[in-house]
Amino acid sequence: MNEIAPRKNLSRSKLSRRGFLVAAAGGAVMFGFLKPEAALATATPSAVFEPTIWYSIDTDGIVTVSIAKAEMGQHVGTALARIVADELETDWSKVRLDYVDSDPKWGVMVTGGSWSVNHSFLLLSEAGAAGRIALIEAGAKLLHTDPANCSAQNGAVISEGRRITYGDIVARAPPTRAFTDDELSTLPIKTVGDRRLIGHDTRALDIPDKTDGKAVYGIDAELPGMVFARPKIPPTRNGSKVISIDDSAAKAVPGYLSSLALDDPSDTVPGWVMVLATSYPAAIRAADLVTVNWAPGPTAGVSERDIQNHAVALIAAPGGALLVDDPGLHAAFSNAASTLERTYTTSSVLHFQLEPLNALAVETGGVFEIHTGNQWQSLILPVLATALGVGQDKIVLRSYLLGGGFGRRLNGDYTVPAALAAKASKKPVKMICTRADDARFDSIRSPSVQTLRMAFDAGGRVTAMAHSACAGWPTLVMAPAAMPKAPNGVAYDPFAIAGADHWYDVGAQRVRAVTNDLANTTFRPGWLRSVGPGWTNWALESFIDEAAHHAGADPVAFRAAMLNGQGRNAGTAPNAIGGALRQANVVKLAAAQAGWGRKMPADTGLGIATSFGQERDMPTWVACVAQVAVNRQTGLVTLQKLTLVVDAGTIIHPDGALAQVQGAALWGVSMALHEGTEIAAGQVADTNLDTYTPLRMGDVPELVISFVNSTEFPTGLGEPATTVVGPAIGNAIFAATGARLRHLPIRPTDILAALAPPS
Amino acid sequence: MTSFLLNGVAVSPVSPEDTPLLWVVRDELGLKGTKFGCGIGECGACTVHVNGRAQRSCITPVGAVAGASITTIEGLDPAGQHPLQKAWIAAQAPQCGYCQSGQIMQAATLLKDFPDPSPADISAVMGGNLCRCMAYVRIRAAILLAATFSRQAAAHE
Amino acid sequence: MTGWPALHVLGPAVWKGRCLRIFSVLAGLVLAGLLVFGWIAWYWPIARIPVPSPNSFPQNLIAQGAALAGAGDCAVCHTAAGGKSYAGGYGLATPFGVIYTPNITPDAQTGIGDWSEAAFDRAMHEGISRDGTQLFPAFPYDHFTKITPPDLHALYAYLMTLPPVSETAPQNTVRFPFNIRYLQAGWKLLYFHAGSYQPDPSQSATWNRGAYLATGLGHCGGCHTPRNTMGAEEVRQTYHGALIDGWTAPALTAANPSPLPWTQLDIFEYLRTGASARHGAASGPMSAVIHTGLAHLPDSDIAAMAVYFAAQNGSASATTGAPPAASETADQQQVDADAQLYANACASCHYGASQAPRAIRPDLSLATALWLPDPSNFILTVLRGAGTQDGITGVMMPGFASAMSDDDIVRLAGYLRRSRTNLPPWPDLAQRVAALRAASSHS
Repeated sequence: MNEIAPRKNLSRSKLSRRGFLVAAAGGAVMFGFLKPEAALATATPSAVFEPTIWYSIDTDGIVTVSIAKAEMGQHVGTALARIVADELETDWSKVRLDYVDSDPKWGVMVTGGSWSVNHSFLLLSEAGAAGRIALIEAGAKLLHTDPANCSAQNGAVISEGRRITYGDIVARAPPTRAFTDDELSTLPIKTVGDRRLIGHDTRALDIPDKTDGKAVYGIDAELPGMVFARPKIPPTRNGSKVISIDDSAAKAVPGYLSSLALDDPSDTVPGWVMVLATSYPAAIRAADLVTVNWAPGPTAGVSERDIQNHAVALIAAPGGALLVDDPGLHAAFSNAASTLERTYTTSSVLHFQLEPLNALAVETGGVFEIHTGNQWQSLILPVLATALGVGQDKIVLRSYLLGGGFGRRLNGDYTVPAALAAKASKKPVKMICTRADDARFDSIRSPSVQTLRMAFDAGGRVTAMAHSACAGWPTLVMAPAAMPKAPNGVAYDPFAIAGADHWYDVGAQRVRAVTNDLANTTFRPGWLRSVGPGWTNWALESFIDEAAHHAGADPVAFRAAMLNGQGRNAGTAPNAIGGALRQANVVKLAAAQAGWGRKMPADTGLGIATSFGQERDMPTWVACVAQVAVNRQTGLVTLQKLTLVVDAGTIIHPDGALAQVQGAALWGVSMALHEGTEIAAGQVADTNLDTYTPLRMGDVPELVISFVNSTEFPTGLGEPATTVVGPAIGNAIFAATGARLRHLPIRPTDILAALAPPS
Repeated sequence: MTSFLLNGVAVSPVSPEDTPLLWVVRDELGLKGTKFGCGIGECGACTVHVNGRAQRSCITPVGAVAGASITTIEGLDPAGQHPLQKAWIAAQAPQCGYCQSGQIMQAATLLKDFPDPSPADISAVMGGNLCRCMAYVRIRAAILLAATFSRQAAAHE
Repeated sequence: MTGWPALHVLGPAVWKGRCLRIFSVLAGLVLAGLLVFGWIAWYWPIARIPVPSPNSFPQNLIAQGAALAGAGDCAVCHTAAGGKSYAGGYGLATPFGVIYTPNITPDAQTGIGDWSEAAFDRAMHEGISRDGTQLFPAFPYDHFTKITPPDLHALYAYLMTLPPVSETAPQNTVRFPFNIRYLQAGWKLLYFHAGSYQPDPSQSATWNRGAYLATGLGHCGGCHTPRNTMGAEEVRQTYHGALIDGWTAPALTAANPSPLPWTQLDIFEYLRTGASARHGAASGPMSAVIHTGLAHLPDSDIAAMAVYFAAQNGSASATTGAPPAASETADQQQVDADAQLYANACASCHYGASQAPRAIRPDLSLATALWLPDPSNFILTVLRGAGTQDGITGVMMPGFASAMSDDDIVRLAGYLRRSRTNLPPWPDLAQRVAALRAASSHS
């Protein structure tokens, strides 16, 4: 039955973390090794070697790796532990994962952007290497030999046929070697040929518990004495005020306790009312019977059309952030032999992570504990502090597996109402959103409008290109301090424009990001798997295709020619070595694999699209060829096959990487052909699966995925494949029928409209 | 009060008869492996077995299972070694894992009814189980693998 | 004697006399008619008896009676929802008002404990209560009249050995003048023919056994035959189908709209197990008929009924036909949002396309409910589901009343009707769904 303490997923070190030295500077994650004196002072009888906050080794040789990332399907814990374990030379079967709770010592806690491996690779490699060196030194002493005669292998130090395990070393003489930060950052890490774990397949450590019901998600957390809560969501995301609450009908529901209008100093959940009950079914039913009279906020009548029309007007007006603003653009367009201009749109999209939003909050001894799955603890902690009126040091987020993140749980707003209700009621409060609540509370991917222009010379060569993108900006709404400034001095949201700053050589280039203030006030725009590139690439790669057609060029050759790696597109170390040439490479490989150029049956076509993943500073080079058949009578698009080629540098966990590309590609298919909603009367129109229809088992096409064998720095994989699928499909439909679609999602009615003769 | 067998054990939860079985199993009886996803029987995360057949517990009132035998993911196999569970691990099927209890329970009924399922059989019978991580390629592979495990086991009997 | 036309010339006194005579004759005729009617309608009460001791009935006779009570489905009508078996109180909604079934346990005060066997026989054969009053033909004595005396003898033994329950049924709400029991005699004059079942010599013994069970105790026509304005079965439309309790009891003749014929094997499977692989599962009131009633009959009796009903629908000469193939492909789902809804909510249990039809995976293209002119059976099944005691024992279907909006159900109904039948769409679906949802939530 109910347990006293919330169950944790995997064994954690039973010992405290006394004696850690953490040099946290500038918000970046740092770590340090113990100074010798401190190490001696903290050596305890039940010894554990904890050279760094990132892992510890006990006397049985069990290596517990601290994972400060959200485990949400990407098996990040396994990947990060592989990085440590490879350098540490530990026995992989002795590795355990510990998903840590929020604490300043971990630095910035965020999981997203496909960043985890890329941002942690060096850090963890150095940590593992440092531990190995320290263990070899200590082991050498115990073996009465010189460290130069020793090596480390599979969790033991070995010298000339003699062997001592890490566990024994820790038990008998825990190492005391200290490293300065400079020493750490210059530690040599393994060459590719020496790697035993990285790049070799393994089984994800989080999977077994996910097959027998043992895995614990936020929604499973329990505390004794807790009450359940379900929200009453106001008619607008912002600005609604509670006038009165009538719970007379709810009182008839056995288990109903009370309804609570939240007073929220952080303005995270304005107008929210929490309905409390002793069971969740009672909370569901009671909330349906509670009537709240709100004064709605100003966006109660806003529709998707309003938002998109507003975007069109904003693009036409001056203003916006100019990320790229090459001189000579205007002249190039004036002198052009021909020009092309097109506008592309995408609709609102729900995250629909399968575990609905939930949080369990309790105040004990002045400290607020919040039990939930979350992707960006560092973002929400200050917000919670404001909401609760306490210091951040009085709030801790207990970590759990996430039943889907996809960016929804980057916005931890769902923790605030639970915490406020716990504070007001002085009881542990477990808030669970029903699916409809979750949909209405979603930080949706904003609908977008993008206008692209291209100038061509007489020979069909591209001389200039301009891209304006207008949508709601998640970073502006939720983390404005994190917005960088464009060269023209205007702050912008990189997650709402990345992708438009492509690697093509187009002559003079302009990239302009415009925020849609109507979107920003109607909902809280969200970071949704693949964020900006998920929709900027829809416009970019559809437009590149239209440009190729305009220039009379083959789409593959047209792209490859512009991915010449010149100038700013040459790429930089460590992440982007090779630059555009690596993108050209995947384009050509994908085209070859898909049989580009062969004659296709009637109404069947191939389309190609490419992207660099998330951001120029951490490119993952992807290309995708889609093969579709189109039924001209019904408008049905049958997606027959997707061929993807990915260059993500070094692949840590190959099978995990493949799983991520499979999943990300299918997200792309889902958003291209199967799912989408719209804002109506200030709210999303579709709130459950009867009308919101993400991709199902039977919709999966043939998937052919390959990775470029690379030893370059590892980049990200959670998202990049999503960015190329939609435009590849759109381009394939054009190849098959001559019909050009410029809106996502593509529905059969859109195909029929595009095929119909102009009226 | 409704009485039934839960993973072979007699239970008599006191939740009102119209309470969805899902919440009785999770909250009153403490088995968290069965999940809540949509509440309208269209995502499959809540799938349990009623008298050996897959059912969506979020739309099954507990009163409707009086006298029945209910199996949850925890009870599919005492050691977690059901052919489906072994196949799921071998194929590395789960990503976030939240849908997987329901997928496995549904797959058990699929394989009972279609021991050698065609691709169309799998698509149709598993089509009610949403995997938002889109791990469908591996779920399908795991189902086919489990089917071969079962056939091999049967051949040796 | 002068003729009538000459009366007016006879003078006032004679005129008065003639009118008086005419009036007297008329009055006399009416009075005579009333007397004759009264003589027909009047029945003497049969004296009360002390409650027979249960030990006075041999066990095998009681067991025989139990099987017959099952065939007659007595418990289903004579038990209120949540009430004790056979203690009455079940409300039958008729066009004339609600009639509540009486308590037929052997309780002396509130049941039939003080009924002699003769009184019981008279009730079953002639529709007369122990105290001589007419019974409403909602009690299907027009069928029970066919029961043979030995069978009645066994039934009496069974009923008299039930546990007595003290329970009085609510008052009927039959409106005037139909509540005048006396007038039932007039109904009987028009519509009732007393008498035991007469075997048809041109048919086999098995057919006759089936006919005896169906037309007598089984009173299948009671639900499956349409009734006239006076509530009597239309004898020229026997088994042509009717509405009962909001459900359609389908035609049992060749007019049954199911896409495959009901063969003898199908009928046996259906009446024995509660489901037919080629037609679907029993739902609504029929489920109880099978599981609490016919379940008491041996296989041979069910087989006999199957022979009889197969003859009614002519399936012996019909071609078996291939089931229409229909299953959603991903393509269909993308084009048709209603197909997607079906795929998400229903196909996981209802898909069976790659194999021969199986009852455990009811193929909706074969389900009678989709082929009926009235969508009620389909809508009610979606709203309420089917319990572990309905259809196939142990197997359930959840109700979708809380999971689906009216619009969802309208979409599903429309989609299944158009994709799996070649019949015209059901009209007024939105209004029907709303009305049935409201009715379901009150029951």
